[in-house]
Amino acid sequence: MRAMGEAPPVLETRGITKRFERVVANRDISIRLEKGEIVALLGENGAGKSTLMNVLFGLYRPTSGSILIDGAVVSFDSPRDAIARGLGMVHQHFMLVPTLTVTQNIILGDEPVRLGHVLYRRARCRVVELSERYGLVVDPDARLEDLSVGLQQRVEILKALYRDARALILDEPTAVLTPAEVEELFAVLGRLSEAGTSIIIITHKLEEVMALSSRVYVLRRGELAGERRTSETDAAELANLMVGRAVVLEVERATPAPAPPPILRLRDISARNRRGLPALRGASLAVGPGEILGIAGVEGNGQTELCEVVVGLSLPDSGALFYGERNISKWSPRRRMDAGMGYVPQDRRGSGLVLPFSVEENLALGRSDRPPIGRHGFIDRRAMRKQAVDLMESYDIRSSGPEAAASTLSGGNQQKLILAREFSRDPTFLLVAQPTRGLDVGAIEYVYRRILELKRKGVAILLVSMELEEIFALADRIAVLHSGEVVFEATAAATDAVSIGQYMIRGGRMAP
Amino acid sequence: MSMKAGRITRIVAPLLAIPGTILYLASYFRGAWLLLAAFAIYLAGRAADLGVPAAAEVVRRSLRRAAMPVAGIVAALLIGAIIMVSTGYDPFTSYGALFYGGLVRGWSVSVLNATPLLFTGLAVAFAFQGGLFNIGAQGQYTIGVVAAAWIGLGMRLPGHIGIPLVFLVAALFGAALNALPALLKVRTGAHEVVTTMMFAYAVTTLSPMFIRAFGGDPSTSMHPYATDQIPASFWLPLFKDFLPKANYRLHVGILLAIGAAFLVRFVLLRTGLGYKVRAVGHNPVAARTQGISVGWITAASLLLSGALAAAAGATQALGLDHRMYQDLGSGYGWNGISVALLARNDPVAIIFTSLLWGLLDSGGQFMARTTRTPNSIIEIVKAILLFLLLAEVIYRKAGSSFGALFAGLAARMKAFGDSGGGGGQRGRGGGSGGEEAGA
Repeated sequence: MRAMGEAPPVLETRGITKRFERVVANRDISIRLEKGEIVALLGENGAGKSTLMNVLFGLYRPTSGSILIDGAVVSFDSPRDAIARGLGMVHQHFMLVPTLTVTQNIILGDEPVRLGHVLYRRARCRVVELSERYGLVVDPDARLEDLSVGLQQRVEILKALYRDARALILDEPTAVLTPAEVEELFAVLGRLSEAGTSIIIITHKLEEVMALSSRVYVLRRGELAGERRTSETDAAELANLMVGRAVVLEVERATPAPAPPPILRLRDISARNRRGLPALRGASLAVGPGEILGIAGVEGNGQTELCEVVVGLSLPDSGALFYGERNISKWSPRRRMDAGMGYVPQDRRGSGLVLPFSVEENLALGRSDRPPIGRHGFIDRRAMRKQAVDLMESYDIRSSGPEAAASTLSGGNQQKLILAREFSRDPTFLLVAQPTRGLDVGAIEYVYRRILELKRKGVAILLVSMELEEIFALADRIAVLHSGEVVFEATAAATDAVSIGQYMIRGGRMAP
Repeated sequence: MSMKAGRITRIVAPLLAIPGTILYLASYFRGAWLLLAAFAIYLAGRAADLGVPAAAEVVRRSLRRAAMPVAGIVAALLIGAIIMVSTGYDPFTSYGALFYGGLVRGWSVSVLNATPLLFTGLAVAFAFQGGLFNIGAQGQYTIGVVAAAWIGLGMRLPGHIGIPLVFLVAALFGAALNALPALLKVRTGAHEVVTTMMFAYAVTTLSPMFIRAFGGDPSTSMHPYATDQIPASFWLPLFKDFLPKANYRLHVGILLAIGAAFLVRFVLLRTGLGYKVRAVGHNPVAARTQGISVGWITAASLLLSGALAAAAGATQALGLDHRMYQDLGSGYGWNGISVALLARNDPVAIIFTSLLWGLLDSGGQFMARTTRTPNSIIEIVKAILLFLLLAEVIYRKAGSSFGALFAGLAARMKAFGDSGGGGGQRGRGGGSGGEEAGA
């Protein structure tokens, strides 16, 4: 098929199958990557994208099938072999040492050494040269822990380039980035591909595929569901390939009811962040029953502190918090929870789940003190199991069983686990922060439906999200948080994304 | 019908296992048959309840779990053998003496060594489960001895009141010793490694003061270094009282310690407190978000850990020493850390690791007495074992390549006509255990 003399693909897989003890994570997958090309690997959580990449990178051995580099069959025993063959991987969770400098992180494991002495200055020169050549600006002497997530990701990319990577694999590179950082990343990837580096980007975000890649492979349930040229397809077709059925991204919304007395009310709340700097400045908000109030804003404008104050993880400096008629400003998180306040935290791995705990133990969090699970200080394992089986069924949590560690679940299933725990408590108020960050289309649709279902039951919902689309898809009213102040508030029907965006960026009132 | 069979075996198996354990510990080695019978009945019960494949899965899972530690022990012994050969000692006679001494001849000494270690190991493991490193178990151990000497020498009480009282007071003392570290940890974040260790040194340094405070007969040669003997009514019962052939020093402290191991396991898995301790230990942020009071749970873990370590001291004083000695570096507290780490903080596994430590100690002494090989080689073996098992994380990550290595070794062993094929499977088992079907 290939014309004589044409260069073979930089990277190719033929019939890769990876079988774990009970699961087939990849079945007969053949993909190829040409020089200087950006290819997207699209799929839902749990579709087998990460497994495939781990096979490519030598972390797993394929059960069958082969990997070819420049047309020659290779076999990787470890990532070291993959790196030696010119592959570079940027993991979703960075593999960097926070206390080392940028240069130290980049050269770690591949230090230029003479007589047992690390040639630090030479390494630094190369780092500077690489970062200039590809426009990856970063201070080579900065300590990693002082860098933003976007910059840390650059360090990861530089680390791969430093090892002469000709093919870069990026696993969900935008999951942790702000919109501005995403744009910069895309520009960098563009420059890299022009310079001849081949790139595979693993993602479940359709817009990214459309914006960045020239070809796309879609994975579904471990199998290759299709291959398309990006120019010859559209988001709808890709979404269908990914999920295996037609997807509705617009969710129906009931018309908002006239305003009854609010369930949760914040009055002039001011609070400080971890570093002791003012982060919330006199914020006042109110959410009524059956209402979704969306908090829009660029990340880092007080959203974290707002969540902590509402849930009770930190206390406000001034102002008061009312739950119904009661002033709950000084209540502990436990008391607020018992009173019917639920919380879906933004950082599900860090504060939503105890990752080494099993699914059933995670579902029992916050319920270990009262029947049916807690009885006179003892834990009824049978009741715990029963609750888990029921919730896994009704929230469609897919895992190898209630005893599986939460860490082994895919992102979407981890989120479903948290939703199951919080929603099944029958809350009257719910704080939902970034509920769909890092989730695929199918899971997003599911989360939206569940949230709207609760709203219809009359739950007051405070939705904090950095994504305007999400706010507009769900919220009845929208408030904009800027520098810790509520700078704008309106019903969703009476405003539009453009003006909300203006308030998010500029804060104060626009000129008429 | 089959459900009933399962329930009956659940009663019968422990009925056999408990006397089996007691007999075996008292050097009635035929007790092993009872243990095997209990295990067989347990398996039969599982098979009746859940079917044969499920019972086979139980066996496979426990074998897989034991594979790594066993491989580590074998590897540590092999490395020890290499050291012996290269320093001019005969590994066959040395190891022969080690195991004859540790498992047969001096088994009662092994059990006596293991008794306080099991308690301190549990103490360290419980704190670890709560995300805390109680490195000062040695201090709490010592304060437990102080409690035993104080009550034993100061009060005239019959055993059935005195012994429980000693354990209660020791537990309170141990907890009290950790109260300040707990408070500092919760209030200021002061690290428990520093504070508990400081208390450990303070208590061990002050122990001569306690000895003098409890009085004693200045005419004996032991005077400033040990208290008078605690009256016999406080002594723990001996195995010899009901099993005549048992060693005359062997006391029932090991049974208390094994009971404590199962109790700790129950607390961790089946009580609200244990559940919260583990939640806080694994992820304090999530625990706090879910309404768990991280401060109280942290304090509770440290206090209970201190109480367990103090129980080790009380057991040792009431069971074996019958007086308080000025601490000559028994090291039960420090060794408890090794024992807990080896068992990966699993309370029931600590029963086995503490017995292993105890037998390496007693067997090593026997070896040093009967062969030319110095006991320090066994210390090296212990260190290597600890190192290998703690480094397991590393070779689990490189699972596939190590699997290949083990398989290669196994093939070579087979070529020698040896039955070393298990090594290959072990290596591969460890490799696949590290993988997760994530995507």
